[in-house]
Amino acid sequence: MLELKNVKKAFVQPDGTKTPILDLAEYALATGEQAVLIGPSGCGKTTLLHIIAGITRPTSGSVKIDGVEITRFSEATRDRLRANKLGYVFQTFNLLPAFSALENVMLGMAFSSGRASSARARDLLQRVGLGHRLSSRPKTMSVGEQQRVAVARALANRPKVLLADEPTANVDPANQQAVIDLIRENCRQEGVALLLVTHAMNVADQFERVDRLDEINRVVAAARGVA
Amino acid sequence: MSLWKIAWRSIQHRGLGSLLTVISMALGVMMVVSVLSINGLVSRSFKSNSSFGYDLIVGARGGGTQLTLSSVFFLGRAVETIPYEYYLAFCDKQTRSEEFRNSIAYRANIEQLRALEALDSVSVAPGGGGWGAIAEGLAGDFLIRHQNDFMQLDERGLFSNYVNFAIPILLGDTYQIENSEAYFKVCATNRDYFDKLTLGQGKKFELASGRFFDNEDAEAGYFGCVMGSLAAKMSGKKVGDQIKVTHGIPGEGGSHLHDQLFTVLGILEPTGTPNDRVVFVNMEGFYLINDHVKPVVESSGINLRRDRDEARALAKEDVKPDSDLTDEELSTVRLPVEQRELTALLVSVFDEEGYGLAAQYLQQPIEQGNLSSTLNWSRFRPLQAQTSAQCVNPVQEVMRLFVYFVEPAKWILLALTTLICVVSGLSILVGIYNSMNQRQHEIAVMRALGARRSHVMMIMLTEAVMLAMAGGMLGWLGGRTLNVALSPIVERQTGVPVSFWDFAPAEPVFAVLSPVLGSSDFAAKIVKFQMSPELLLIPGLIILAVLVGVYPAISAYRTDVAKSLGK
Ligand SMILES: Nc1ncnc2c1ncn2[C@@H]1O[C@H](COP(=O)(O)OP(=O)(O)O)[C@@H](O)[C@H]1O
Ligand SMILES: [Mg+2]
Repeated sequence: MLELKNVKKAFVQPDGTKTPILDLAEYALATGEQAVLIGPSGCGKTTLLHIIAGITRPTSGSVKIDGVEITRFSEATRDRLRANKLGYVFQTFNLLPAFSALENVMLGMAFSSGRASSARARDLLQRVGLGHRLSSRPKTMSVGEQQRVAVARALANRPKVLLADEPTANVDPANQQAVIDLIRENCRQEGVALLLVTHAMNVADQFERVDRLDEINRVVAAARGVA
Repeated sequence: MSLWKIAWRSIQHRGLGSLLTVISMALGVMMVVSVLSINGLVSRSFKSNSSFGYDLIVGARGGGTQLTLSSVFFLGRAVETIPYEYYLAFCDKQTRSEEFRNSIAYRANIEQLRALEALDSVSVAPGGGGWGAIAEGLAGDFLIRHQNDFMQLDERGLFSNYVNFAIPILLGDTYQIENSEAYFKVCATNRDYFDKLTLGQGKKFELASGRFFDNEDAEAGYFGCVMGSLAAKMSGKKVGDQIKVTHGIPGEGGSHLHDQLFTVLGILEPTGTPNDRVVFVNMEGFYLINDHVKPVVESSGINLRRDRDEARALAKEDVKPDSDLTDEELSTVRLPVEQRELTALLVSVFDEEGYGLAAQYLQQPIEQGNLSSTLNWSRFRPLQAQTSAQCVNPVQEVMRLFVYFVEPAKWILLALTTLICVVSGLSILVGIYNSMNQRQHEIAVMRALGARRSHVMMIMLTEAVMLAMAGGMLGWLGGRTLNVALSPIVERQTGVPVSFWDFAPAEPVFAVLSPVLGSSDFAAKIVKFQMSPELLLIPGLIILAVLVGVYPAISAYRTDVAKSLGK
């Protein structure tokens, strides 16, 4: 489902020097597989998710989603692919304040090639336990509720892969487990591959597959080796 | 969810800011609509005031504009005068000969007086009416000898066949409201003014109360007057009241109140023309006011510079030099031709072809004072007076005024209001710009959800256009509603009714583009194309909105998703 080969990313600093951030020999996820990605801050987790999502273009290497090589695509094509095949859950939820819960979920469908279906959006919100808050604005919801809306939004387009970047970091402890459960349960139901980034070991421990980016990222590993 | 809805939510989300933007936009548009409507009103009232129902103004030489301003709009200083004979040159045979006969009778009596004086001076007592008879005989001889070659009484006025009517007017006096600073222009004229003049679109003068004065009025004699609607309203005068008029402009040097009383016989309905601000008095009465009698230098040697009462007394055929006439009797004696002057003649030229050419043909003989085929001028007037008249075409003059003053004023106002619109357009930009930080994050989120650059760009443009359209519609409705609300006042002042759907008049709106368009046939058609500039307002605003929306749109286009997501 997700296949990365020799993906390298270097950022060009303002002074013109290139700083390598990421160097992955290989990384893959099978259909419906669930993996957690851990590693210290700054080891390139977010950058990796951005590359997979087509938001950031790798400096070199190959990224295949659902068998399609995306790095050679134009930006607009990558945008479309992202709309259709990927879901993204952010650490800071990133709900749009102008829109109700239902509209935020619908917005997840607005840019895809499929038809936006409010029935699907309602169903998803029902499933994350927010069937009664369809028309609430994000501002009026608790952080746990907001993240659940974000999960529903990420799943709206029936993606192949769901990327979750520290989805519980900003959620109160009482709700963290519920959010993780919702993400995992829904991904399982819809057959979505899940790549979840976290710092919380109690979260990581729940996964069968745990990848340490600081180990598989050759830039970080090499730096550590030198040290 | 459509881009429209996304943009609309964004507008809603910034409720107060959006509202203020829309309001500032609406105010700008309201001003533009008002300026356009005011301009439309001005040009419509200009046009309705310039379908005068007459084609020529004959008046004293000098500025044609001044003559037009005073005769058409009753504005400005009194202009010089022309001899009354110009009027008679437009009259039919009967009127003309009556006027001259009056003059002849007057002259005859002067001759008679001179004869009597001459006989008196040699101390020969007149016996049994003998001298009187001699004098009368002399006068009779004089008349028979001269009346035909002087005045050619059996002739029609030289220009009478070429005109529908000629209406004499005299200006220069005013009516000041008692115990007030306010005053109105007085126009002395005759009954024809009300009977023959039309007020645009063939409308006639109508009376709110009373009646028009007759030239020889059974009730008021020569001293009737009719008040324009505004003059009557502001002075509170009613039919039957009496007024005195002021010589000149009140409060200025040489002005003084005339003793003569004029009776208000009628009050006009509002006409929406300058006539509403005028008091019309009977010309005959006006002539009889003491110092309106023009002293005339006579080339025949007869000195007419006499006391008015004496001269008038002499005009009575059965008058003896020593007889006493009451004021009342005096006031029934018309002033002779030689002592009459006019400010202007309003002439409607008989023009079968309807091209205004007939008016042009008349101009030359009138300006040359070429009345000699029907009048021996030299017996009446000094040479100077015989060539004192000029003809102006009031429509041309008014159009010239319009082009000189109204048009530039319109462009200045339009430029100003366009500026206001641009400023309020910029307020859209400022509104969007101020929220750009927050927007960039929202844009990044949408991009992360799969929105393309073109999507977020369109959302920004759509938002700007929606704000502009809301402001534009609101402003337009506001401007129109204001117009309708003010229409009773406007109609009272200008006579032009305003309805909600009266767009500003059509104009060649694309003429400004002519330097850009080149000279092809198509370009010529565009330049000539006429439409109401008001219809361009909303499309113009949308273009404006797109222009100001381009900056945030580009900024949306350029948003770095990876960076902005972290914010
Ligand atoms: N646009 C960028 N330009 C330059 N450096 C960047 C940029 N984005 C991230 N980095 C750097 O790349 C490294 C990895 O960042 P990130 O992927 O956000 O780490 P993590 O999510 O694991 O904390 C960090 O050192 C960060 O400073
Ligand atoms: Mg990170």
